[in-house]
Amino acid sequence: MPVSLRWAVGNNYHHTTWRGQYHVQHTRRAAVGVDRRVEETMEFFRKTLDPVFALAAIAILDIFLFLILGAWTVGGGETMMTGLVAQLFLGDELMRIPFWQLVFPPQGDYWKIYISLGMFFGAFVGAVLSKEFYWRLPRRASEWLMITVGGLLMGIGIRLAFVCNVSTFFGMGAEMNLGGYLAISGIIAGAWVGSLIYKKILEG
Amino acid sequence: MSAVAECLVAFLFGSIVGLLVQRSRFCNTAALRDAIMFKTYRNTKALLVAMMILSIGFTGFMTVGAGHPMQFDVGLNTFAGLFLFGIGMVLAGACTVSTWVKAGEGNIGAIWALLFTFVGMFLFSLVWSWNYWPPAPQSMTGEPNLPALQLGFANARTLQDKLGIPAIFFGLIQSAVLFAIYRAILRRERAQHAKHEQHQQEAAGQEA
Repeated sequence: MPVSLRWAVGNNYHHTTWRGQYHVQHTRRAAVGVDRRVEETMEFFRKTLDPVFALAAIAILDIFLFLILGAWTVGGGETMMTGLVAQLFLGDELMRIPFWQLVFPPQGDYWKIYISLGMFFGAFVGAVLSKEFYWRLPRRASEWLMITVGGLLMGIGIRLAFVCNVSTFFGMGAEMNLGGYLAISGIIAGAWVGSLIYKKILEG
Repeated sequence: MSAVAECLVAFLFGSIVGLLVQRSRFCNTAALRDAIMFKTYRNTKALLVAMMILSIGFTGFMTVGAGHPMQFDVGLNTFAGLFLFGIGMVLAGACTVSTWVKAGEGNIGAIWALLFTFVGMFLFSLVWSWNYWPPAPQSMTGEPNLPALQLGFANARTLQDKLGIPAIFFGLIQSAVLFAIYRAILRRERAQHAKHEQHQQEAAGQEA
């Protein structure tokens, strides 16, 4: 347990020792309860979660999101962010590109942007609390090249299909949308070709 | 719901997802890549379980007319786009979820991948502005449009409307198929484990 938390739990306990015997015992029991709860919470940041459990929890939350706003997607929010960043650089000139006028007029209050920002924030909190946050850099030039090409292909692919992998598996596929099946076939074929290329590069 | 409330709900959902994905090391890329390359299924099983729950949940609510299903035309561009995406995610070692999660963990490579995803999207917006294909969602009708290589759209609710069979029925069938794949993976894992044990025993026997 971090020192600050241990101090907080211990401190609560000491403040109550002047009370009657019943109160002391009661509080002691409560303090042990708090202690255990804090321990359990900290345990969450020590162990690796079973991904089946994590994804089941995400699926249930995604059903609530589907009821309120729509199923979980990432590509749409990323596109809007691209538009907003491009607007920062190009200003009104951006509106001369038809895509940003007809398909994705940039707007900052588009809810899908905040799913992505939330994922970044949640992962940062998880990494800091479990002491897993540290700067990592790809070492070799070939890795940088693969990431650059991979990123470009992902961006082009999302826009060409109008869906990303998240909306494929956690949205369209589960809604039994015809596009979901096309997208799942596409991504499996792509991952297979990608794996062949990846293997070649690893072996070469 | 106001736009601000929508953004707050989305941020809360995203934060929990980010935390759970970070703690579980789930990766969609790994779910496909590891199954293809290494015949390991840690992430694949999680993906299947989520899809089973979602299929029942989504189609269940669609049966009673609740929820917001995605509605837009699909076509060959859907297949081609995700094909490119599939290659890209294996090369970049991260998909749309893991780029954000790894970026949150301090991974500069993931931030670089994210940056180039944005660049890729911007480049495609230039191409689209030149040929206007695939059609923008606003101009889609839901009906097949073969000259534009569009097949219209269909989901469990459309099937319910057209055939009069409740959407949940289709959802249960899909979940059963996903469960069969899940069980096949479990069987395969057990067989791999048994083989591994046998190898170890043989190696121990030779040493003795």
